[in-house]
Amino acid sequence: MEDYFSYTEKLFNPAEAAGKPEALKGVRVLDFSHVIFGPIAARLLADYGAEVIKLELPFSGDLWRPATYWGKYWKHSNPIWHNITKNKYFLSVNLKLDKSKELIYKMAETADVVVENFAPGTAEAWKIGYSQISKINTKIIFLSCSTYGQYGPMRYFPGWDLLAQGASGVLSLNGYPGTDKFFKLPDYLGDFVPGNFGALAIMMALYYRNKTGKGQYIDVAQTETLMRLLSNYTFHSVMGGEVGRTGNSDPTMVPASILQSKDKKFLALACTNQEQFSGLLNAMNRKDLLTDERFTSNLTRSKPENARVLTEIVSDWVKSKTGAEIINIAIDQSFPAAEVEDDYTICNSSWRRARGSVVLFQDTMYGELMIAGPSAQLSGTPSRTKWLARPLGYHNRLVLKKFLGMSDEDIMDLEKKKVIGTFDDRPGLKPPVYYNLAEDPIYNYGKEVNQ
Amino acid sequence: MSPKAQKEEIYTRHASSHPSELGKSLADMMNPEGKAEVLDDVLVLDVSSGNFAGIIAASLFAEFGAEVIKIEPPEGDPARLMTPFGANVKGVGIPFMFEARNKRYLTLDIKNNDSDRKIFRKLAQKAAVVIETFPAGDMDSWGIGYRQLGRENTGLVYIAITPYGQYTDKARQFARMPDSDITSQAGSGLPAEMGDVPDAGEPYNWPLRAGMWAGWYISGVSATLAGIVALIHRQNTGQGQLVDVAGMDAYASMVGIPVSIGYTWQKARPRIGVLDFILYPYGHWKCKDGYVAIAAPRDHDFRALLKVLGLWEIEDDWRYSSDRIPDILEQATHLHKLIEKETIKYTADELVRMALNYSKKSARSKWRGGGVPIVMKLMTPETAMESKQWQIRKTFQEVEDKDLGKYIISSNFVKMSASPPRVKWVSCEIGKDNDYVRNKYLQE
Repeated sequence: MEDYFSYTEKLFNPAEAAGKPEALKGVRVLDFSHVIFGPIAARLLADYGAEVIKLELPFSGDLWRPATYWGKYWKHSNPIWHNITKNKYFLSVNLKLDKSKELIYKMAETADVVVENFAPGTAEAWKIGYSQISKINTKIIFLSCSTYGQYGPMRYFPGWDLLAQGASGVLSLNGYPGTDKFFKLPDYLGDFVPGNFGALAIMMALYYRNKTGKGQYIDVAQTETLMRLLSNYTFHSVMGGEVGRTGNSDPTMVPASILQSKDKKFLALACTNQEQFSGLLNAMNRKDLLTDERFTSNLTRSKPENARVLTEIVSDWVKSKTGAEIINIAIDQSFPAAEVEDDYTICNSSWRRARGSVVLFQDTMYGELMIAGPSAQLSGTPSRTKWLARPLGYHNRLVLKKFLGMSDEDIMDLEKKKVIGTFDDRPGLKPPVYYNLAEDPIYNYGKEVNQ
Repeated sequence: MSPKAQKEEIYTRHASSHPSELGKSLADMMNPEGKAEVLDDVLVLDVSSGNFAGIIAASLFAEFGAEVIKIEPPEGDPARLMTPFGANVKGVGIPFMFEARNKRYLTLDIKNNDSDRKIFRKLAQKAAVVIETFPAGDMDSWGIGYRQLGRENTGLVYIAITPYGQYTDKARQFARMPDSDITSQAGSGLPAEMGDVPDAGEPYNWPLRAGMWAGWYISGVSATLAGIVALIHRQNTGQGQLVDVAGMDAYASMVGIPVSIGYTWQKARPRIGVLDFILYPYGHWKCKDGYVAIAAPRDHDFRALLKVLGLWEIEDDWRYSSDRIPDILEQATHLHKLIEKETIKYTADELVRMALNYSKKSARSKWRGGGVPIVMKLMTPETAMESKQWQIRKTFQEVEDKDLGKYIISSNFVKMSASPPRVKWVSCEIGKDNDYVRNKYLQE
């Protein structure tokens, strides 16, 4: 029988991924959303082959276009934005105008999915909500994203990832007990997690529609999706009291901490069961602890007084070895250990490149950019990056002509009436300075261009 | 107005100033009772072992209506014993109780027992999804990996969850390394971005673990998301596939930001405590009776916040978002303290009301520029449970198990009008459904 890893290497060969089928091919999505939560839900659909048309206001665009880290732009674009909105069609249309609504209603006839994350009630007030769109297309799957949900006394409160972290209680958990040192989850995780749940709900609805022909309305409150990830509520209801903050240790198993090695490397080390614990003790030359009644099971080791003692013993041992030594021992004895990785080590790690967890993408407009791969690899219908974010209104002509069959005169009329538009001079909205849009066949779709 | 009534009024004013018919009709529309279940044609076998990413993925499938059989050896999955401070009910840990949603329990020791593997193989012929977390290649060497099961059942979606995945040289080299939440967090880049500023002293300036199972939950959600993609493809073509989730991808791949910054900056970000590296103000502050979260990052939001807090005299120094971003840490910390001097004078409810009153006027004013400074009281998980918002939305649910008694879980995590997820029962007992599974799937 062929060696397992040569078999899987072929099954997942990244060089063949682009030629494989796409699970969501033929699914059309209207994406009215902005910032991160909604756009991520729509992007995940695009990654698996859906045709996502993102609508933005002319000359201002999505709020997040200019929001880069420490004001650092890359080729006049926001590098983070490329990851959030790749693979989409960028249509810039003023949603508030009646003329735009005609366009949207027309697109809604052939759309399968709508995603929006305006303040609850806004889409309805603008007559592009579920009650209006579902009259045009009864099979539509319509996702509304918000912080607190579409109903309930807090529905009109505005929110961001931060507020969802605050309202679910997760913000209060990251830090040290008995201090006021605690921190929000980084990188807007309170948007990305709900974005993934939004995509999950849409795909469940697509699966259901394939069986029954029925569309539906979906209400995802980002706070509730974060709540799904916390068993702290159950702890409280069963035990009274709270788990609270536990610093750098996982209170559910011992040892499980972030520690520092002899060569000052930070690394996480854990034992999830008795077998792994025995392997660790073997490596530490402390087999005597295996019969210590305080440490005979994870349940007893996790008691705070025992956890403290054991964590200290393990921490001292880690201090006596280099990071690399510990990782080798961990492979040998089969217990979990990993160095703390950061922005730099992740993007420069060769195995992640080989796996496709980070991808050096070659884009027709921006050239080379390293971009994150998917958080799950599929052998048959893999997620893929087809193009990066584009300037505001870049696909106006393509969408209107190809998808809506409009003529050049119609399009000029829309431009004149400011129903559609493009970018202004702000970074994040415009193309890179070196790029000649006049020669771009997609931007000028349907016109003669000199390439 | 009594303080209690006044407090209630802040969070319900919208409901009382409008007739809440729309809210009521939405609540009715989203009620799961009597609705269809999306995955009622899907059988899921969860043979994950000591790994909550697998258990979580199985739960999510079960909440969407799949028949999920949790398969474990007679002594039980070690995951049963992972629980904060060792807290348990009759030997079952809290997280296992929390995830014990709509599942069947079958005992098979597929790690050690060849005849049990044969039973598993027979079940897998009828399954749509298999979830496993053994070292890469182990299931294959036992004759029940994707290579073998996929041949007998071409529509099978086989989800494998490990730290380094099923392919690449690294995966081969690290195949014996097991998965855990904290190593998944560390290896996928989360703790490096969280923790106090460099001069805060040890251990506060160290990389910080997220105070939840961020690694395992991200891997579990990713596995389910990939699973439904594969199920849609199976629905369209009849073809299954292998889904490979690596815990070391979890955080970095879900948010993508570490890769984008690492590449364009060729440096790692330092830890910056309570500050944010893009937006300001965007964090939490101390107030008289606890903490408030404040988000006012756009320039007009920030101006509004200064008005609300009576800090307008400093506006000139901090006018633009580029003045406020913490690329110069000292400068941003200075502003943070200026704001804290004011927030500490008020209670959380007072600050929330001040911001809301301003926003209300601002929305109607031609001159105030629409600034919306968002201020909210910071909750702990325990105080969050008391909120009326989640009671009305049925976010928390009391469940009962005949052995473990009554307890509360968070559920109904997305609302869907036609085919919503739901928790129908909880149960944990080892081997509880041995007869059920045998009768339903293993006759002939």
